[in-house]
Amino acid sequence: MALKRRATILAALSAAATILILLWKPSVINNGLQQAGLYAAIAIPMGLVLGIVHIVNLAHGEFMMVAAYATYFACRATGMDPLLAVLPAAAVTAAFGWVVFQLTIKRALKAPELNQLILTFGIAIALTQAVNILFTSQTFKLQLDYVSASIDIGEDTFPVWSYVFVAFAILYAVGLKLFLTRTTIGKAALAVGQNPKGAAIVGIDVNRVYGLVFALALALVGAMGALFLTKQSIFPSVGSPYTMKSFCLVAVAGIGNIPGILGASLLLGISEQVLRGFRDTRAWADIVFFVLIIAVILGRSIKWRKS
Amino acid sequence: MNRNLARVVATLLGALAVALPALAGAYPLQVARNVMLYMALAITWDMLLRSGQISFGIAGLFGLGAYASILGVIRAGMPAWASIPFAAAFSALAALLIGYLILRLRGMYFSIVTLALAEIFRIVIHNLHDFTGGPEGIVAPQGVIFGGSASALYWLALGGLAVALGASIWFERSKFHFALTAIRDNEIAASTSGVNIFSWLLATFVITSGIQGLLGGIFVQSYGFATPDSVFSADFTLLPLAMALLGGIHGTVGPIMGAVLLGVASEWLKLQMPYGHLVVYGIIIIIVILFMPRGLYGLARKMARPAEGRAE
Repeated sequence: MALKRRATILAALSAAATILILLWKPSVINNGLQQAGLYAAIAIPMGLVLGIVHIVNLAHGEFMMVAAYATYFACRATGMDPLLAVLPAAAVTAAFGWVVFQLTIKRALKAPELNQLILTFGIAIALTQAVNILFTSQTFKLQLDYVSASIDIGEDTFPVWSYVFVAFAILYAVGLKLFLTRTTIGKAALAVGQNPKGAAIVGIDVNRVYGLVFALALALVGAMGALFLTKQSIFPSVGSPYTMKSFCLVAVAGIGNIPGILGASLLLGISEQVLRGFRDTRAWADIVFFVLIIAVILGRSIKWRKS
Repeated sequence: MNRNLARVVATLLGALAVALPALAGAYPLQVARNVMLYMALAITWDMLLRSGQISFGIAGLFGLGAYASILGVIRAGMPAWASIPFAAAFSALAALLIGYLILRLRGMYFSIVTLALAEIFRIVIHNLHDFTGGPEGIVAPQGVIFGGSASALYWLALGGLAVALGASIWFERSKFHFALTAIRDNEIAASTSGVNIFSWLLATFVITSGIQGLLGGIFVQSYGFATPDSVFSADFTLLPLAMALLGGIHGTVGPIMGAVLLGVASEWLKLQMPYGHLVVYGIIIIIVILFMPRGLYGLARKMARPAEGRAE
């Protein structure tokens, strides 16, 4: 009861804050929403891996970076539009991720948590630096006309292309929900996530499920790599902030709570844009999420201790 | 017999290290300084790791010390030599405050928070233009400490390493060793045996962070300038971590071996390939975690042990 009341108050407060910002600086909400979509669409696959395989994949953003590079060179060679490359990029990244999983992560599944953390950290460095060797630290960007699409409302112009990220984020959240509750493999994955030993006893091949879920998550990240390329320029370390941000969002939402990631992304995206909206505070926008992650982790730890 | 041999070897190596400026030119000295810096950081990282806590925030406390030192000289008019212990004290104090809050966290939560804190320090320094010089950095007007003499800078770095080594050996031989090992093995068992987990962790965190700050001070005074991106560089977290892992964790010898090997190898690779020589670090981390979790030192000891058994 108290929890419900608190949730209602929180929702009312955030709605009021949103309306206030909307009236006062509409572009903040517009940009914030699009940014939140990008964050959420990248974070959801990490939430999937963490919820089911129980691995913090510190190479998460780096896999997206690799997918974006692959898409870039494929598009430049064939003149293809990166939007057409979304599905192939997903398939290729999934295959790559499956191989990486079989070669490395699978062997560390039973190792202590810290070993897994350091292992994926090592994979992240290896990926970033390999791209650095191949393509140097030069930035690449595709010139596309449609990304500057915008809508004029009154005197203001609102860029709208990045709503495609929002669409993907919602698609991912709904799709995963359906996958996990309606399909046999999805149900098996959910069971493995809840209790690997129990799942193994009832005849689920736990390692195969882990491999599949990891590959699925990487397919989603790979698709985001191709989409990311439409809007942003890419360079070897472009993925690493997204690793951290994704982890932060997953931690804020709570492990296994995929809709929560959408909410957390909104909070992060909009608060960053609020700071970016003013010249004096612009430089501080990057700090928001680090403060958020520390606040959330410390807050959680205090709550755990109480209960 | 064996222990005496080790002592003789250590003394010889120590003497060689002190006398190196008389034997080597400017470039080898420069390489040696880098290797010693990373070695010292690797040792301090390992000291905290002996309690089971893995920090990703070495660069944060290192950079904090670096800025404390250079700002102490520029803004507070400290002599350069005094700013180095000041850097150590500053980082230790910061670690005391932070540690009080975050040392109750465990596992990945502790690691991620240390990483986030390092980023926060970097952004704060980056944004306080008027005080810290902002993204372009800040230059000490009187230049490099000791007038830039190569031998003096080498001995300064050696001094930093000696502090880290001394602390690490002290940790291995004092109650710290038992307390930290007990915490790493089983916290519940440790606390029921009367180990005050939080105090030991806090003391360890403050001491290692203080040394990291000291090294930051030495680093910045040896170059005479600091920028947020150079002193908070991810290298200062990454390289020590890879070195300690390669050499072997939970001891003093492992990080030393790892630092010598990787330090020299990376200097060589840097000349061979200007982009991406760090790929070696990533691959080493992966291989070590998968195939030899005890590192090279652990591997060597494992191979030596059956032979010893037969001899006795």
